[in-house]
Amino acid sequence: MTSKKALEATGLLAVAVALFFAPSFLERGTLNDVWSVALAVVLASSWNLLGGFAGQVSIGYSAFLGIGAYTTVLLALNGTPPVLTLPLGALLAAAFSVIIGYPTFRLRGPYFTIATIGVGEAVRVVASSLSFAGGASGLRMPAGSFDFESNFRAMTLLAVALVWIALAVSRSAFGSALAAVKQDIDAAEALGVNSTRLKVTVHALSAALVGLAGGLFAINFQYVSPGSVFDFRLSLTIVLMPIVGGVGTVAGPVLGAILFGWLQLKLLEIPALLDSSLFVYGALLIAVMLFEPKGLLGLVRRLSARRLRRFYVDA
Amino acid sequence: MPEPVVAVRALTKRFGGLVAVKSVSFEVAPGEIFGVIGPNGAGKTTLFSCLTGAQRPTSGSVHLRGARLDGLPVWAVAHRGLVRTHQIVRPFREMSVADNVAIGARFGRGHRRGADERGRIQEILARTGLAARAGSLAATLTLGELKRLEIARALATEPDVLCLDEIMGGLNPAEINAAMALVRALRDSGLTILLIEHHVHAVVGLSDRILVLNFGETIAAGRPEEALRDPAVVAAYFGDTREEAAV
Amino acid sequence: MQQVLDVLINSLLAAGLYATMAYGLAVIYGVMRIINLAHAGIMMLGAYATFTLFTHFAIDPFLSVIFVVPLFFAGGVALYRTVVRRLPRSGSTPSMESLLLLFGVWLVLQNLAYVLWSGDTQSILTSYTLRSVSLLGVRVGVPSLGVFGMSALSLLVLEFVLHRTYLGKAIRAVTQNRDAALLSGVDADRISAVAFGIGTAFAGLAGSLLSTLFAFTPDFGRSFLLKAFCIIVLGGLESVTGVAAGAFVLALLENGTAAFTTVPTSLQDALSFTLLVVTLVVLPHGLPELSRLVRDRGRA
Repeated sequence: MTSKKALEATGLLAVAVALFFAPSFLERGTLNDVWSVALAVVLASSWNLLGGFAGQVSIGYSAFLGIGAYTTVLLALNGTPPVLTLPLGALLAAAFSVIIGYPTFRLRGPYFTIATIGVGEAVRVVASSLSFAGGASGLRMPAGSFDFESNFRAMTLLAVALVWIALAVSRSAFGSALAAVKQDIDAAEALGVNSTRLKVTVHALSAALVGLAGGLFAINFQYVSPGSVFDFRLSLTIVLMPIVGGVGTVAGPVLGAILFGWLQLKLLEIPALLDSSLFVYGALLIAVMLFEPKGLLGLVRRLSARRLRRFYVDA
Repeated sequence: MPEPVVAVRALTKRFGGLVAVKSVSFEVAPGEIFGVIGPNGAGKTTLFSCLTGAQRPTSGSVHLRGARLDGLPVWAVAHRGLVRTHQIVRPFREMSVADNVAIGARFGRGHRRGADERGRIQEILARTGLAARAGSLAATLTLGELKRLEIARALATEPDVLCLDEIMGGLNPAEINAAMALVRALRDSGLTILLIEHHVHAVVGLSDRILVLNFGETIAAGRPEEALRDPAVVAAYFGDTREEAAV
Repeated sequence: MQQVLDVLINSLLAAGLYATMAYGLAVIYGVMRIINLAHAGIMMLGAYATFTLFTHFAIDPFLSVIFVVPLFFAGGVALYRTVVRRLPRSGSTPSMESLLLLFGVWLVLQNLAYVLWSGDTQSILTSYTLRSVSLLGVRVGVPSLGVFGMSALSLLVLEFVLHRTYLGKAIRAVTQNRDAALLSGVDADRISAVAFGIGTAFAGLAGSLLSTLFAFTPDFGRSFLLKAFCIIVLGGLESVTGVAAGAFVLALLENGTAAFTTVPTSLQDALSFTLLVVTLVVLPHGLPELSRLVRDRGRA
């Protein structure tokens, strides 16, 4: 087992180093694409901590991205160096997740999900009506001091860190409690697991990471608006990536993020398909739910198991 | 009786118009094996749920070593030292046997970690005869093994009081004898045991005292031989043609 | 005093529509324990269907209902037979797979609408759209009256079906106790198909009616879905009267806050949601019906 861990650590380190030096030999366009995929990995993997490991499906994660983004912009406009705004954005997102977590985690399964849709919508509506936050038209970051390379490094490093965090959680006692709660919450409680505190904790961790990404998002695009960060479709995409890739696993969200990154690009290239993004996402969701709820990773495992079985029988 | 470890006073549980448990009172001495019997629907499992916090009593109280237990959430009750097994087993199917037990060891009263935790798990698996299946996925176990897993998990939380809910259901005679031996061994190791059972032979063989419920009410209590001879108990099990003998 | 009357009457009128909207969601959930997120998309399609009938065939929105309801019923049954039925059933507990699947259907419907009708905001303007009458001294728009009339009629028909026909009784039986109903000989598959059809038909009807009152885009329906959910939580899903009561409470809250407080109407969605959460958190001592439902939900 130690050799497997060593392999993983080396692998992640190698990826981190490669990404660190990427700005030196990749052109700006490609770097932008990599940045987008890194963001997708961060969002998908963070969501998966609550949605996959703990089994609580939230379709309101854009709220945390938005809180992080808006915190950065608002503080930057008040003179705070953007870098310092990032931890605060993460903290605020986590705090918000705790506030809404306590009432909504009383709900089970799909009811929780619907409540999260409501929260997401409420946040967007409130943000649109706050004049100090620019209302519906949003806010611009203060001019100057945007360094693409450091933002790129930060986002990609965050993505690698997220994979490491997911691995660490899945192997920890904390992770085992999440799995127990996901499989049978009452049985877990009967054994002493404080399921509410557990859910709130993982929710806060997850929200903080997304909030952090939100800050980086704001710095990268230099502009935030309720439509861009509090978008329902964004919340939806954040859910679809890990589900299509393989919910509850560590590799699944990464796979899903890469697939979506690729899909986004393809859809943008072919003008005819541009209007079909909803259809594509919807059809993907339907297909996954009907045929392979465990996503791509589940499909791969199922097929390779079948192949092994056949091999065994023939031999 | 020395200071009772579990005391239940006038416990009542109502579900809308249905009174599942009606003003039940009893005390359990430390180290006792206390049986709860009664026809189907008598309120036995509801009683256990009120003890563990899975249900909140409509009125009355539950005490553990003098401290109020009712109103606490289930996990808090487990941390105080009272746990149960479930009548219909609830294993974590996608985890191995050892991982199932680990949940109890890690998050129960013991809060074990590391080598300490592993040692404890091995010890419990040995006691419950599951050592050979430690690495197997819970979904692959037989019913008898699953029942033992329920007990193992509960034991891992290091309780003072263990509430066993029909652990003999569905077992063959050899398995029943083994289960009875296990219960006695658990008591001898210092636990107090409450037992819901339909197997009258097992209950009589194990219990120091029993409580007989029917339609949520206590109809008899005391030593097994005496309680079972009580005419009210006989009527409850045999006298009424609407109800079949639970034996 | 006049303001109070104003609020009461407007709430009553709104409640009719809300109840129709909520019932579509309630029947599908009651019979199949499926939360139909596509409900929003179906309402949206109902609005667009009425719009198309109006602009291309000059059919009055209220008359279009004659076409919309049967069409959507058939569509619902078809949707059930092709997609929903294939889902692995998880017994009596609501499943995540169905939620996400129907979510996918909603997305597809939205895209369909964008393709067929473009993303431009549409609305229906008839000769009477802007007219209003005076009801007990309160000015009420004519479309609102029409909507209320239609809603009330549909709910009455529903009441009749639920209590006087075998089908209706079967639906109520399955909602209350699925296993017992199946043991009594109810054909689960057929009832589910019919329930889905009814749910879809009501959603389509609600959409048609909504189109006479509001402007709409393919994105339309989300806030109404949230309201429908609020109503079901408030009023339960076992009876039409329960849904109607929940609808009235929600409408009262909305109109009340609009009239008596300074909370801007743009925040109404946030209000519905807050009501939802507060209800769910505070409820245990509410109406027996409600507390029983919450307890059922809280202990899956």
